[in-house]
Amino acid sequence: MKRFWKDIKRYMPYAKYATKSGLKSEVASSHLSWLWWILDPILFMLVYWFIFMVIFGQKKEYFHIFVFVGLSMWNLFNKTVSGSVRIVAANRAVVTKVYIPKYFLIIILLFQNLFKMMISFGIVIVMMLWSHVPVSYNVIYVIPIFVDLILITFGVSAILAHFGVFFDDLKNITNVGLRILFYMSGIFYVITDRVNEAIATLLLKVNPVGFLIDACRSSLVYCETPHRRLILLWFVIGAVLSAIGVAIIYKNENNYVKVI
Amino acid sequence: MKPGNAIEVKDLKITYKCVKSLSMRKSLFHLRKSKLEVYEALRGISFEVKKGEIMGIVGKNGSGKSTLLRAIAGIFSADSGSIELESDSVSLLSIGVGFQKKLSGRENIILSGMLLGFSEQEVRDKMDEIIEFANLGKFIDMPVKTYSSGMYSKLAFSITAVLETDIMLIDEVLSVGDAKFKKKSYKKMQELIMDENRTVVIVSHSTETLEKLCTSLLWLHEGEIKMQGDTKTVLDAYNEFMA
Repeated sequence: MKRFWKDIKRYMPYAKYATKSGLKSEVASSHLSWLWWILDPILFMLVYWFIFMVIFGQKKEYFHIFVFVGLSMWNLFNKTVSGSVRIVAANRAVVTKVYIPKYFLIIILLFQNLFKMMISFGIVIVMMLWSHVPVSYNVIYVIPIFVDLILITFGVSAILAHFGVFFDDLKNITNVGLRILFYMSGIFYVITDRVNEAIATLLLKVNPVGFLIDACRSSLVYCETPHRRLILLWFVIGAVLSAIGVAIIYKNENNYVKVI
Repeated sequence: MKPGNAIEVKDLKITYKCVKSLSMRKSLFHLRKSKLEVYEALRGISFEVKKGEIMGIVGKNGSGKSTLLRAIAGIFSADSGSIELESDSVSLLSIGVGFQKKLSGRENIILSGMLLGFSEQEVRDKMDEIIEFANLGKFIDMPVKTYSSGMYSKLAFSITAVLETDIMLIDEVLSVGDAKFKKKSYKKMQELIMDENRTVVIVSHSTETLEKLCTSLLWLHEGEIKMQGDTKTVLDAYNEFMA
């Protein structure tokens, strides 16, 4: 624990700078550069909006915002988790030359995706103003919801990153798992409208991503109070997962370099 | 730790288990009877390096030289034995430091420097000196992916040479760049030697380099210490052995 805080202090400035430069290098060679961070989610939202609003006739109020919130949060989870599985091998150039606590590689990735999510939520605010969405004090719950999402994403990523060093196949398994989760999280449909109650409970309570997306939409767009006890419960689970992830990485990280 | 010592290595053993990223199926079926192939890179070596000393390591390929350096740098953990350092400020310099290929040389200097434990401000203060030493001209503001391999190594060397750490570990990089840069890096190395507070460990195959720079030599052979002593004696014995 002591080591953790010491390392946080020592490497956080590096993580911040690496996040910045990572984002910069991502757009360095494209013509529209940072515009892609805005275009990408908007274009995907249009695709889903077209399919579900126009083709399937989905009748949900503010459906475009509904989809956009879901996609933005999903992208944070999805990109961080799938990027983390092979993250140690992907950073071989760094980790074979200098010691860095390996979970910082995940933190850097998480920061980058968090930045993109913040941009997306900036767009959400613009869309809400545009569509005159009424807002209530429930908006405040967005903050603990984001904290939950960050903790769970980090915890899952850290644990997968450890096993990903030793099992190549984990990458494929994770991708399949993420694909399933994507369809199970109600990103472009209203879970309670589509499936029976038992399955809805499963998708909205047991699946953290589904729950957090739903909770975020309720509090931000539909003026409802989210399930507070569940938010707390997932906070605890997220914190435990993160602690486990950091602990196993600390215990094993010095052997990673021998394998990759 | 004895006073005056910068590095103390005691009975250090490092083994590579050839797990080599198992496939899921294999690891599931062989979970119990998995007999790992173990390769011993270092078989229990002990030595000390005094503060301010420049120690060279020689040995044929695969004798464990790079493994030893990485262990001292904290990248590997020891399977048994111990490594003690008097300072946290350690840097390992080897061919091709991890650069972000799409970013400029300037940006990469800050990244590498911060990874070595310097603050952003400290690196910025030394920036001009590093750029001047690397002597890359306008390339310093171009993406690193446009660099030639020589320029790449020059930049890497300059970062570690100018951002001085207390313990420097150098893996076979003194022969980077063109003749002019080589001369300059020799000079810089000698400057670093003059500093009594700096301890340097060099791995090299170049007799000339070792003779010129090192105060003592360690000869590794198949993971064990074959000889240790002053540069001339060890080097003569080594050359005779290799001939």
